Amino acid sequence: MEVEDKIKIKKKEENIRKKRLLSIKFNYIKKERIMRKQKYFKYLFIVLMMILAISFSGIIQAASGAGDSERVIRKLMVLSRPQATSPDEYETALLIVDGMRELGLDVDVKVITWEQMADVVWYDRDSWDMTGWQMTARPERLDPDELVYNLFHSSTAEKGYNFVGYINPKYDEIVEKQRITLDKKERRALIFQLQGILANEAVCDFVVNPMVNIVYNSKVFKPESIKEMAGMGIKNFWTYIYAEPVGNQKSIILNSNDTVQSINPLYVSGSVDSWITELVWDRLMRVGQDGLPKPWAAKSVEWVSDKQAKIVLREGMKWHDGKPVTVEDVKFSFEAPLSGEVPMYKPFISNIESIEIVNDITLLFNLKKAFAAFEIATLAKVNIIPKHIWESILEDLKDSPDNAESIQEEIPIGSGPYKFSSWKFSEEVVLEKNTEHFSAPKMEKWIVRFIPNMEAALGMIQNGEINFLATYLGDSQLLQQKVEENPDLTMVSSIDLGFRYFAFNHRRPPFDDIAFRRAIVAITDRDIIVTAIWKGFAVSSDSVISPALEFWKNDNLNFPSGGVEEAKQILKGAGYEWDKKGRLMYPEGKKEKLN
Amino acid sequence: MTLLYPNSDFWWIWGYLLNQKYNYFALRIGQMLLTLFIIVTILFLIFRLMPGNPMAAYIDPTFTQEQQQILMQQFGLDKPLWQQYLIYINNLLKGKLGDSFFFRAPVIEIILKVLPNTIYLMLGSLILAYIAGILGGVFLAWKRGTSTETIGIVFTLFTRAAPQFWVGMILLAVFSFKLGWFPSAGASPAGVVYSSELEKLTSFVFLRYLFLPMLTLAIYLMGLPLLLMRTNMLDVMGEAYVDMARMRGLSEKRVMLKYVARNAALPVVTAMAVGIGYAMGGNVVIETVFSWPGLGRILVKAVSTCDYSLAQGAFILIATVMVFMNFVADILYSLLDPRVKIGG
Repeated sequence: MEVEDKIKIKKKEENIRKKRLLSIKFNYIKKERIMRKQKYFKYLFIVLMMILAISFSGIIQAASGAGDSERVIRKLMVLSRPQATSPDEYETALLIVDGMRELGLDVDVKVITWEQMADVVWYDRDSWDMTGWQMTARPERLDPDELVYNLFHSSTAEKGYNFVGYINPKYDEIVEKQRITLDKKERRALIFQLQGILANEAVCDFVVNPMVNIVYNSKVFKPESIKEMAGMGIKNFWTYIYAEPVGNQKSIILNSNDTVQSINPLYVSGSVDSWITELVWDRLMRVGQDGLPKPWAAKSVEWVSDKQAKIVLREGMKWHDGKPVTVEDVKFSFEAPLSGEVPMYKPFISNIESIEIVNDITLLFNLKKAFAAFEIATLAKVNIIPKHIWESILEDLKDSPDNAESIQEEIPIGSGPYKFSSWKFSEEVVLEKNTEHFSAPKMEKWIVRFIPNMEAALGMIQNGEINFLATYLGDSQLLQQKVEENPDLTMVSSIDLGFRYFAFNHRRPPFDDIAFRRAIVAITDRDIIVTAIWKGFAVSSDSVISPALEFWKNDNLNFPSGGVEEAKQILKGAGYEWDKKGRLMYPEGKKEKLN
Repeated sequence: MTLLYPNSDFWWIWGYLLNQKYNYFALRIGQMLLTLFIIVTILFLIFRLMPGNPMAAYIDPTFTQEQQQILMQQFGLDKPLWQQYLIYINNLLKGKLGDSFFFRAPVIEIILKVLPNTIYLMLGSLILAYIAGILGGVFLAWKRGTSTETIGIVFTLFTRAAPQFWVGMILLAVFSFKLGWFPSAGASPAGVVYSSELEKLTSFVFLRYLFLPMLTLAIYLMGLPLLLMRTNMLDVMGEAYVDMARMRGLSEKRVMLKYVARNAALPVVTAMAVGIGYAMGGNVVIETVFSWPGLGRILVKAVSTCDYSLAQGAFILIATVMVFMNFVADILYSLLDPRVKIGG
């Protein structure tokens, strides 16, 4: 009995529990339903409010002119590197933005580091409006081709250097034509035309060509032996081999704020690396002080036809390990990139159809098509490397995921005027003169010290720890003052081949419109930028070609410079209007469309 | 006899303690490995989530898309992130740190090239700082309540608070540019090559190059041991045995150095062990001011060029040493100070 009772009681209890659970569930469902209803009301309320708001703003719009707010230009963003690392760029950006605001634009400067900027501008091409940018001087840029072609040809717009996205079939046609025009005067006319188009269409807001200020110790070097090169200043190959010592100091000791990445003739890496490769390896031609290519390791370069060059090699040249330099080596050097293990040099040799060896000192280069810049872009660019060293290296690389760029020779062997001597990582690289070279340097050693602290470098040129201030990123005025205080120091200022500019993103309105771009160019006050920001150590720029290249620079360019008044005229002429609040609006019918 | 041959109870207790000690070691080692794993994972993510792109270093008018593809493949950046992570962990377990994107050379090779310089600089300044700090601490504790102490403390706080780059530039301006006693950049004169590290370390010229950066760092590091030493001294000076020593009529000098300082130095020793760990990290600021060819500058370069493998490799190395030295400090403490119990 007792047991049965217990079971009954238990069952009862269970039933009660179940009922409770059910009622709880039911209650819950009820509550949820109520909540849902409440939510519907909420949504309904929000929708109603939105309808109200839209109709209300519609009324306001109707009052201030139909569709005006749609025509107002959106907020724009100008990218600049930080003031701390690039004060000139940042200050220029502020100046331009001030001008843009005067035109009735809502615009701000956005400061980002160079790494981020490169990432955005380069790999996210649809996402930015305007950005500060700079092109630096390099010997191969002494031929206008690289700048006029790669920066603005439509083929490089998607992934290459035409990051502004400029597309103009007419420009493409002319820029392609100048490539195959071998007559210099004719080619110059084409280059002039291209500069004309770039200025008329205000493709970029060119700002300045800075001055390259380089200081040397005239107690160490004979001033007449220091050579100035067009667009490059006195820091160049010719100074390094012609510089003559005055006293006992027989080493050129120069500074760099950056370290060397690698010393490799098959790898285009940092700029300091290129100073070294230039001296250790010879090239068939060298860019001369005047900016024009001249035979170097080649005794002569003779054009048999548009597409065939006959090259006679200089006799008696030797590698630093004592073996002779042969035509085989030359052929090998120009064919090495074909192996696929030297990707960076591939573009420079892609135009070569074949290389024939005629005899011990003569080669014939056959081109696929005529190329005006071939001498500078290829013959003066490709390093001549010893076949007896690199052939087996390239062979071994075929089975490895690495390529020639990751090879670092223990002692790099070239045939150039300086021999590799030592490399103390992060500290210095020492080269010593190659006495057997046909143009042996007058100095015994060439030493580059890596000094990230600019103030220290400035102190070192004063106390003699370095004797050639090759890199100076600080205040030019201060530098000049220090030089004036010290009778041993001489400063040479030259117009840089490189230039500073603000790039417009042609993919995004309003920068797709010539009139708008011309207006921005007009408000950029280059005189103030030169005097106030650069303190006179720059010249105003209106073209990709530096005034240092007198032969190629077009001096009659129609680049607007009339300030806010002219800008407003340009905009009015193109149909732009201002709303009641003074905000700039697109011409009637134009709508912003962002990808 | 009983002292030499203790009874079985003693052995049992000793064994238990020993066992506990091993457990403690095992636990600490486990914690260490877990910490390192977390560090390694965070490092992997942090550099990849950082804005920027290693390709930025190659932007050039002649840099084509094809070349970019080749580079991405070479760097292994064409793979999805989780695959990169697995490869990275796998390589780490095999002890491989990978190749630097920027220098195109094995990370370990690059680190080893600059590590000796960093160690000379850091150890040199650490030793200098701890000698000066301990002596200074003793001195200030001794001069308790005098104006010398006030001035000393203010000065110490000042050296601790002064920015290193500022101190460095002042020293450069005075001793290098004005007086010309010391060179201003690098670790050796232009063009000088040493045949071995030992020759370099023992050469007077190298020491001249080392001096200014070492001094700058020592000035900064000195504050910690000095203040620590002083506080400990003051604590210990209140102990009964010190009074006892004084009552015995021992000279003040003897009381201070033999009875107080020796006991007060204990925490300073462990602080130094941790300090050595930090020393591995090099010093970004001082190495840049004095153009010292060390790990700190390489780190800056690696981070600014998004050289993931170099930055990871260097940070992992630093983190490992730091975590390990912390472990050593803990162990040292438990060994040196019987009051610190294991486990508990």
